Amino acid sequence: MQESTAQLQHAIDKVHLRFGEQALLRATRLPPAEPWPSGLAEVDRLTGIRGLPKGRLSVLQGPTGSGKLTLALALLARATRELAQSVVIDHRVGFDPWAMAPMHPDLRALALVKPPDVATAGEAAVALARAGAGFLLLLGELPENALSPLESAASRSGSLVVACANARNAALAHASSLTLGLERADWIYERDQLVGLRTRVTCLKNKLAAPGAATELDIRYPLGAERFPEKSLAIVFNEGVKPWVVRTAVG
Amino acid sequence: MGGPYCCGLIPNLELAHHPQLIGQPLVVGYWGQGAHVLACSEEAAEAGVRPGITMRNAEHLCPAAFVAEPRPGATLRLRERLSAALYDLAPELEVRYDGTCWIGLEGLPAQHKSLAVRELRRRLHQATGFDPRLGVAPGPFSARLAARRAQPGRVLRVEDATRFLAPLPTAELDLDPELMDRLELLGLRTLGAVAAIGPRRLESQLGPPGRHAVLLARGEEPDPLAAWQPPRCLSAERQLEPPVEDREALLFIARALCGDLAAELGLRGAGAKQVRMLLAVEGVAVPEERASLVRHPLSSQAELFGLAGGWLREWRPAGPVCGLVIEVPELEAAGRRQLRLWVGGDAAAEEVQAALERLQERHGEQVALRLAPGLTASGVPAQRYVAEPA
Repeated sequence: MQESTAQLQHAIDKVHLRFGEQALLRATRLPPAEPWPSGLAEVDRLTGIRGLPKGRLSVLQGPTGSGKLTLALALLARATRELAQSVVIDHRVGFDPWAMAPMHPDLRALALVKPPDVATAGEAAVALARAGAGFLLLLGELPENALSPLESAASRSGSLVVACANARNAALAHASSLTLGLERADWIYERDQLVGLRTRVTCLKNKLAAPGAATELDIRYPLGAERFPEKSLAIVFNEGVKPWVVRTAVG
Repeated sequence: MGGPYCCGLIPNLELAHHPQLIGQPLVVGYWGQGAHVLACSEEAAEAGVRPGITMRNAEHLCPAAFVAEPRPGATLRLRERLSAALYDLAPELEVRYDGTCWIGLEGLPAQHKSLAVRELRRRLHQATGFDPRLGVAPGPFSARLAARRAQPGRVLRVEDATRFLAPLPTAELDLDPELMDRLELLGLRTLGAVAAIGPRRLESQLGPPGRHAVLLARGEEPDPLAAWQPPRCLSAERQLEPPVEDREALLFIARALCGDLAAELGLRGAGAKQVRMLLAVEGVAVPEERASLVRHPLSSQAELFGLAGGWLREWRPAGPVCGLVIEVPELEAAGRRQLRLWVGGDAAAEEVQAALERLQERHGEQVALRLAPGLTASGVPAQRYVAEPA
């Protein structure tokens, strides 16, 4: 037993000598995931590490109209202001930057990739994660064989990758470190007028902390929506201070 | 003139193809019409054989000599191999077919100069089997004459070229026999005597070679080295026996080849402007090919494999693959910064920009876009923002 331990240690020493200390780490010495505070305190609380994990894949999952794209755009707008480079990979979803205009994105730090097919979407995601894009928003499908390289590329560069998924996608769920499920709880009416929606956000999967936490978010339509030619599910500043109104926090 | 230079003299490279005959008389030359001697060993030269004489004459002068046919292709490859082996000693070097090798020692610290000279001796011996004669002097011409006077394996150092050259015979100028006769008639028998005459005066007697001869004799070195440049095309290949059908195995091999190329590119500080991949398919005469020009030179394994791996993943070869070649036929300086040395947003932004441009090269400009506000109040969503290629 002692001999085999010594042999194993010898092999580990050889790997360290040849490829460096970082090439092989004991699980107890793995660096913790670095959080990126999203600016939405309740969402940060759900993650358990006070922010979305850098170098990992996070998934926002929910049916159409649950507010996941709005949440993703809010995160993206903040990322364009804080990080050097953010990229949206939009495979046949029809990303409209106008939808996040009320969140004041910095468009100079944003690039849009429109891949012609799913395979190219995967290739672009891996290449950009490897290049170190600060924030990568994936809209639409990704091929399953790209998820594993995407994970490892993001892990090496520290890219924050967020994917939006309509339905439960087994491969995406498996690859993700954090999955937030969104579900519309209610419409918000004021003076008989529809002004927003209330959505319930649950942490369905978390590799970094305990899952299961939930909260409710109010998403308001843009103030003065009549100025815009069409209604948008954008988050606007509520009462001029907070972009989100957290009603209750459960779990 | 830069200087100093080290010259290594070995016998003609044609003789290096016959290591088993070192120390014995050997003549390399063409038979047939106009047959003449191309090169001969020192042992044959002692019997009077000279390059340029007829083969029949050589046979008559040295009947015991071994006679060999020239191998121009192998000699060319040997010259390239020698040049590549010496390239890291000094960037300025020239290797000639007659066995003369120069390296420029300018700019090297003193201890590195002697190290370079020792290495030159070792590598020439290793590559050809001959012990080179070595000369170090301020210019290529004087270094070659110094090397001619050194013992095999020894170095002769010359500090003052003019004083060293002065007593040497004019035969060292390698002039035509007719011009040599005229020098003789003028009473010029040493390089010192030639140097004492003004270049114009000798030019009026011998024409341009006269002027050239005076400059050589004065140690002014009118002929710079024709410096060897490493080949502009790099390639890495692997023959696969038995042929491979598994795509993962091909990807694994391609990654290793990209690593080899990246290491070579790194040594030269170069990047690949064009990448070509060839798959030799069993039973098919012409290999299948993919090629691409890239906007930013690729220099790392990840960048090269990003392109080559992408091809392989979607490649449908007509049969099992028995050979894989990755070539970078066009090189240029690796233009981008060492981005990983920089911490902060600019490095990441630059790498992301390069990744976007690589995507555009592969899938068209419209695949990666930058956005700017347009007619934000327009009723048509497409008009609210202007999207331009990134």
